[in-house]
Amino acid sequence: MATDTSSIPNQRVVETLASRLRRRQVVGSHETALETVLVLRQVISKARFSNIDQLVEIIRSVGRKLVEAQPKEHTVGNTVRKVLHHIREEYHTASQGTAVVSTSNNTLSIARFVLQGQPRKQNIPQKGTLNESHGTLKENNPDDPDAFARTLKPVLMEAIQDVLDELETVYDNISKNAKDHIHSDEIILTIGKSSTVEAFLKAAAAYRKYTVIIADTAPSYSGHDMAQSLSSAGISTVLVPDSSIYALMSRINKVIIGAHAILANGGMFAITGSLLAATAARAHSTPVVVCAGQFKLTPQWNLYHEYGALDFADPSSVLGFEEGNLVDKVDVINPYYDFVRPELIDAFITNDGDHPPSSVYRLIKEAYDDEDYEL
Amino acid sequence: MSSSTGKEKLITDEEEVLQAVILADSFNKRFKPLTTHKPRCLLPICNAPLLDWTFESLALAGVQEIFVICRSHAELVKAAIKNSKWSKPGTGLKIVPIVTAKETFTPGDAMRDIYTHGIITSDFVLVTGDLVSNIRIGEVVRQHKERRKTDKDAMMTMVVKQSGVNHRTRSKGDSAVFVLDPETSQCLHYEAVTGYPPKKYARIPREILNEHPEVDIRNDLIDCSIDICSVEVPSLFQDNFDYGDIRRDFVHGVLTSDLLMKNIYCYIAKEGYAARVKDTRSFDSISKDILSRWTFPLVPDDNHPGGHSYEHLRGNKYIAKDNSVILSRTCKIGNNTLIGSKSQIADNAQVTASVLGQRCTVGAGSIVRNSYLFDGVVIGPNCVVEHSIIGSGVQIKERTRVERGCLIADGVVVGPHARLAPFSRLSKRRSDGDEDDEDEDDDQEQADEEDEEDEEDNESDDGDDEDEDEDEVDSELEEVEANQDAEALAKLGSDTNAIIWPPSTVNEDEEVDELEHPDNQRLMRIGDNASDLVLSDAGSVTSSESESESDSDSDGERFEGSNPSSSTTSLPLSTPSNLVAQADSAAISEFQQEVKQSLDRAFAEGHSVDNAAVELKTLRMASNVSLRLVRDAVIAGIVSRIKIMGDGAISQRKEIASMIARWGGLIDKIGGVDPVETVELLQEHCASSDRLPLFGQILAALYQDDIVDEDDIRAWHAKPESQGEGVKPTSLQENYKKCWVTGAHMIKQFDEQDSDEESEEESEADADDDDDGESGTGNPAVKPLEREHNSSKDASSSEEDSSEETSNEGDEYSTGEDGSEQDDLP
Repeated sequence: MATDTSSIPNQRVVETLASRLRRRQVVGSHETALETVLVLRQVISKARFSNIDQLVEIIRSVGRKLVEAQPKEHTVGNTVRKVLHHIREEYHTASQGTAVVSTSNNTLSIARFVLQGQPRKQNIPQKGTLNESHGTLKENNPDDPDAFARTLKPVLMEAIQDVLDELETVYDNISKNAKDHIHSDEIILTIGKSSTVEAFLKAAAAYRKYTVIIADTAPSYSGHDMAQSLSSAGISTVLVPDSSIYALMSRINKVIIGAHAILANGGMFAITGSLLAATAARAHSTPVVVCAGQFKLTPQWNLYHEYGALDFADPSSVLGFEEGNLVDKVDVINPYYDFVRPELIDAFITNDGDHPPSSVYRLIKEAYDDEDYEL
Repeated sequence: MSSSTGKEKLITDEEEVLQAVILADSFNKRFKPLTTHKPRCLLPICNAPLLDWTFESLALAGVQEIFVICRSHAELVKAAIKNSKWSKPGTGLKIVPIVTAKETFTPGDAMRDIYTHGIITSDFVLVTGDLVSNIRIGEVVRQHKERRKTDKDAMMTMVVKQSGVNHRTRSKGDSAVFVLDPETSQCLHYEAVTGYPPKKYARIPREILNEHPEVDIRNDLIDCSIDICSVEVPSLFQDNFDYGDIRRDFVHGVLTSDLLMKNIYCYIAKEGYAARVKDTRSFDSISKDILSRWTFPLVPDDNHPGGHSYEHLRGNKYIAKDNSVILSRTCKIGNNTLIGSKSQIADNAQVTASVLGQRCTVGAGSIVRNSYLFDGVVIGPNCVVEHSIIGSGVQIKERTRVERGCLIADGVVVGPHARLAPFSRLSKRRSDGDEDDEDEDDDQEQADEEDEEDEEDNESDDGDDEDEDEDEVDSELEEVEANQDAEALAKLGSDTNAIIWPPSTVNEDEEVDELEHPDNQRLMRIGDNASDLVLSDAGSVTSSESESESDSDSDGERFEGSNPSSSTTSLPLSTPSNLVAQADSAAISEFQQEVKQSLDRAFAEGHSVDNAAVELKTLRMASNVSLRLVRDAVIAGIVSRIKIMGDGAISQRKEIASMIARWGGLIDKIGGVDPVETVELLQEHCASSDRLPLFGQILAALYQDDIVDEDDIRAWHAKPESQGEGVKPTSLQENYKKCWVTGAHMIKQFDEQDSDEESEEESEADADDDDDGESGTGNPAVKPLEREHNSSKDASSSEEDSSEETSNEGDEYSTGEDGSEQDDLP
């Protein structure tokens, strides 16, 4: 098993994605999530394993490798966790069928409440006994070591396909309720170019007539692209400099922003300027709504203690390289993300419904297995 | 493969494999003696070998096949490639080391070698083994190929990066002027620029201006040494056996050739970073660029080519992530610092803007500033290391001071209590080390000299030198070892095993290329601001203002007469016409500062006039300025020190008299006597300061002390300049006039005294008359004159009283009558 799993992370596909993540050739949480799932699918389809633990170990080692390559793209780890979660689920339904149902029929109790969100732990002890009785799924078969993999693989592929489908439909699912959040003649402020927010606003535009104010989001100026995209979709769009966010806030009905990663405490990393917008909104008691797919939910919660977590990019967009005289006299820092504290956010709109920041931890509990928090 | 990037796909669609050639040899010896045991491309920058940075840069660009051309220490390079992560499967890179013959002395030779190997099948990327870049070269390659479709003669694309002229990463000693067509970005002309002696003119062939209505002349570009070359480039090198350097010979040759008809293009990178570690200065600046994240995503905490992981802390501090770094609670880690794993910083030590390798130790109370410590360096307690590069395994024992610009090779032990002179270069004594390595290094040095020669005259015969190679090298090292100055060695401390390399000097026998000239190389040295270089030389060439003027004039003439077929454009770098004058004025202002300080001291501490004069003389000798300047400074010092008394003319005159009596002698003791000039300068100073009303009094005091006499005042008065002719601001001119008028009064008095010896009363009445027309400046001048005339130097109180009255009177009159008075006088 050891030799088997250690060679897997060195596979060409994994290595390629790892180096591309490291070189920032794959950027954006959605794209990295998709790439990760595709790599995992390839790894699993090629993997040789004779029991579930081996399979999990393979996936985790691949995940570790990818996360190590780019710890700031949290969706990589999230996707791996999600895949693991799905695989375990599939495995359990395949191996014990009714077992889950029988254990979950317990009556309500404090102990049960505490254990909620950890159904696997309860089930694992039962797996051994049930396996033998059912006989459909044989682990560690000495005669035919691949038998387990053969039987399980189609199911696993299905599970991964589920994850993939979820990723592909995430924008649609988030924006399907858009018209409930945006009302006619409202003025919405957004910042940066988030595909999620873009889809959300465009979906709302089909039902409502409203105005979007877009901050141009220095130094990336991704707000410009956003403005172009929205105005070409027929939404009345205003592009303003970042500095006027506060001044305009009194006129704004709602702030809708995207996220890079949502932490377990309900805070989030989002593009630079989001903290400015969220703080200004708080000063005017304007609701701040974050649109994000579930794949951005990250079980870590104290990342903001790490200075480097803001992902400092190169200073060239702040101070041009051609400013030769200044370059060695001025230290320029160009953080790519802001950490927005949970108390500044009013709601998260996800593909799994709307949630306040305080219940993010529950979403995470449901989405991932506890043992995978540390890959 | 589904996961390959779009860019990679694009390249593989168009062309099977993107090839790259790395010239892993530096072909010069700027890092000596650090490069004694390993080639330059294996020196670590930010704790990863330069070669790894180059590989990473190429991998980032989507290159799939890399040929590494190595010459010196080829075995080490091969081993390094083999052991690196790049040789593992799954990197997508195929790296083939190619060892060329020892007689490959220039990049040109290497290119010829590439041609004979026949490894190049299509357009390829040519880089050097010391490149740090995050430019998307794939995009450049795509553009190059597109251009090739329309322009079959487009042979090469050079990647350049826009930067300011004074950018730290732009080498001042080795840059170039590019003449580009702004539309097509075709490179029309290339001219290499050396920093010293400062190059003032670039010659641009006239035909270029005929053919291209619009040209960009750029002197603000960093040459990244990334070239996209077509297949025919190596063969061109083969055809032109004298091409040595890729830029100076090949590019220049191709562009100036009438026969080749090949075009070279530039790609001005808007985004991304690319630079070459070509000398110790760029080593410093590129390290800083990496630490301040210009090379993002190639930064220590993200995509470190050496595979280390670092934690990025506030202020661009990078600490190895594996929790093996031991930082004392009281140590100070400054901004832009990288600390490798297993390093230890002891109590009260300070590390600022430096890179520490793995397993480094900094002793208690030591200071490390702007320095680069390779792996395993041990610095004892209470040491100071500044602006230096310290090789791996070096031990610096307690209380040692390593001044800026030092290069210390691997394994050297220095100290305790040593003090290294700035820019000293140390390596391990040969008896301690193995001789073979030294030999190899010296091969490289030899090659470098060869290189220089090649650049100087491209026809140098390689064969002869090759034979001498080993011998000469051995002898050179023996020489270095034999010529050790025992005294200097003793300063390196009792435990040292070092030998000191002599500073590079010009060998008269050998023609040394401008580029490798020691003075030019100084611009490429770490920690060398070279300000003295440009300044002192400009100063010594032009000993006085007039000379400097004539110098720049003659320059201009030279250029106009020399080459009528080429137009000449001055470099924005040096602002040529003013350069000398600028340097001169800097020297002058520095001198004036000095004089002022020494006068301040003299006045404050009451030095004797003689002592002060000696001090001024030495100052003048040291700065080599004209006498007039010294006089100017002295007079300025005296005039500015005369207090303006608000409470009347008596005290004012007393003040002036005492001042002149005390210090007036100094004016004539500074090395020459020129009273006319003295008066001129006095006028100048009074006119341009608020001491205008004192001019007459001071002049009178000078007259009294025999510093100026009657004839001098007359001579001064006769000069047209004294009336303020040619003085620009009209207000100033007026002031000049006023002084002149005061002088006129004095002369008038002289005349009167000469013509008839009149009674005191009458003369006094005369003076009163004069005063009526004066704005007060004239009055005091008259009184002392009278006294002089009466040969009574001690001023009587009664006279002073009357003069006070008259001066007060005079103050109240308007200056309207000045004009008429002046008209009468001449």
